[in-house]
Amino acid sequence: MGWIATTVDIILNSLVLGGIFLIMGVGLNIIYGLNRVMNLAHGALYALGAYFGYTLVAVGANYFLALLLAPIVVGAVGLIIERVLISPMRKRHMIYTLILTYGLMFVIDGLIKLFWGQETRFIQLPEFMQHTVSVGPASYPVFRLVILIGIAAVVTALMLLLGRTRLGINMRAASSIPEMVSACGINVRRVQISAFVLGCILAGTAGMLAGPLFTVFALMGHDILISSFVVVVIGGLGSLRGAVLAALLVGFVQTLAEFFVTEMAMVMVYMLMALVLVFKPLGILGEGKFE
Amino acid sequence: MIRLENIDTYYGTSHVIQGLSLHVEAGAAVSILGRNGVGKTTTLRSIMGLTPPKAGKVFINGLPVRGWPPHRIAGLGVAYVPAERHIFPDLTVEENLKLAEARSDQPGAWTLERVYEYFPVLGERRRSGGTKLSGGEQQMLAIGRALMGNPSIMLLDEPSQGLSPILVAKVAQIVSELCKEHGITLLLVEQNFRIALAMAGRHYLMGTKSKIQGEVSSAEIIKDQELIKRTLAV
Ligand SMILES: Nc1ncnc2c1ncn2[C@@H]1O[C@H](COP(=O)(O)OP(=O)(O)OP(=O)(O)O)[C@@H](O)[C@H]1O
Ligand SMILES: [Mg+2]
Repeated sequence: MGWIATTVDIILNSLVLGGIFLIMGVGLNIIYGLNRVMNLAHGALYALGAYFGYTLVAVGANYFLALLLAPIVVGAVGLIIERVLISPMRKRHMIYTLILTYGLMFVIDGLIKLFWGQETRFIQLPEFMQHTVSVGPASYPVFRLVILIGIAAVVTALMLLLGRTRLGINMRAASSIPEMVSACGINVRRVQISAFVLGCILAGTAGMLAGPLFTVFALMGHDILISSFVVVVIGGLGSLRGAVLAALLVGFVQTLAEFFVTEMAMVMVYMLMALVLVFKPLGILGEGKFE
Repeated sequence: MIRLENIDTYYGTSHVIQGLSLHVEAGAAVSILGRNGVGKTTTLRSIMGLTPPKAGKVFINGLPVRGWPPHRIAGLGVAYVPAERHIFPDLTVEENLKLAEARSDQPGAWTLERVYEYFPVLGERRRSGGTKLSGGEQQMLAIGRALMGNPSIMLLDEPSQGLSPILVAKVAQIVSELCKEHGITLLLVEQNFRIALAMAGRHYLMGTKSKIQGEVSSAEIIKDQELIKRTLAV
């Protein structure tokens, strides 16, 4: 493979990986920004999205239909989690929901093993996605390009939701002065719940997009949870734009490192985080407003 | 109409409002004057439901609302303009206004266009970040945002805070005219009694722990300039 082809390959892979991180990191930040909950079950919900999608495809749904439906089911699970676990802890210190969601992660992992077993699953892709196409001098798997388009679609939809809709305005307002939002006549609790569910939907979407990339297995959410935290920390806790930048950066560094120093890939990512924190202790775009 | 009967409000265990009673008739403009930390802001927060009183009665237009969440109290037509303005930093000027829009079909309901007519500077800067505005502009935005909820009652906390004397006079005049023209009941909190005189007709003089030391009309204050100083020892 020529160097141009390799470069194209690395760039596309970085965008795919960075895109998955982005959807995860932004989801974590939306949940944190409005609820002050650091959702340690985020990776488990990602796995749940992939498994729901796997089952939907296994019973005959098309991958794209599953990509739409699985996240909605994860969102419903998120709503139950919010009502049953998060809501009663609202007035308590953040540490309570931190421990609760940590426990929840193991519960969901366990349920996944119970229902789907230990063996790795493969999401059956439509015929056309099983080929490769040439992108300039490189030949690239179609399914990766489709995932990239899927990521772009999710990011666009999210930007429209946050930027243009009433719910988006309410969410952005409630991330800084929730009390004033309620004084303006808006049920701010409902906005906070919506943000929690939205974050869970994003985790499910990321899982369903990543399923064909990394295969589907019970502990698939663990590594991604760590990477998503790295993204959130580098970008700045609560900063959506920071998470976008950080996700692309981490995706690029990890892809590059995997290409040149495979065993050291995660180490490089942590070194990147350490480097950013030395110069920007609150992350690239962190304002520290959520501390 | 606002009526407080013997309310008690706490921050944690600190008992800030102790047995406060007051009332504001529909369409009237009333102020609360008092020194730093006596509980003026907490009184407004108690009415709005932001720091709900633990005891006593709060009536809005005759309805008992103690314990209601703030958004339901706002839904009765109560608007709150905090001393800090609390403009949403992640929202543009227009989004700050839209957020509070009550979207009523009634004639005379407030719309973006009508707020921009009143405050042309907000229209000019509709796409700017809300907190990019100057202090005076932010005060106008906070008032405009309050209007978007079609209020019948406005709770206004220290409009003079952080503004130049000229701006203060201007804001005071705009709000007074607005309230008269639209029949909005005004409960104003001030430390600056000149502003209170210009905006309200009746004044509660509040001492420590929210104890009402007296109740005077603007005419009485104008007649006896030392009255406030004697009562509040400011
Ligand atoms: N969030 C809070 N937690 C604990 N105590 C508070 C809080 N906010 C205010 N207080 C205290 O409650 C008392 C009343 O405060 P409040 O803000 O109502 O006074 P104020 O009359 O509005 O004063 P100012 O003129 O300074 O605005 C003060 O002693 C203040 O220190
Ligand atoms: Mg005050």
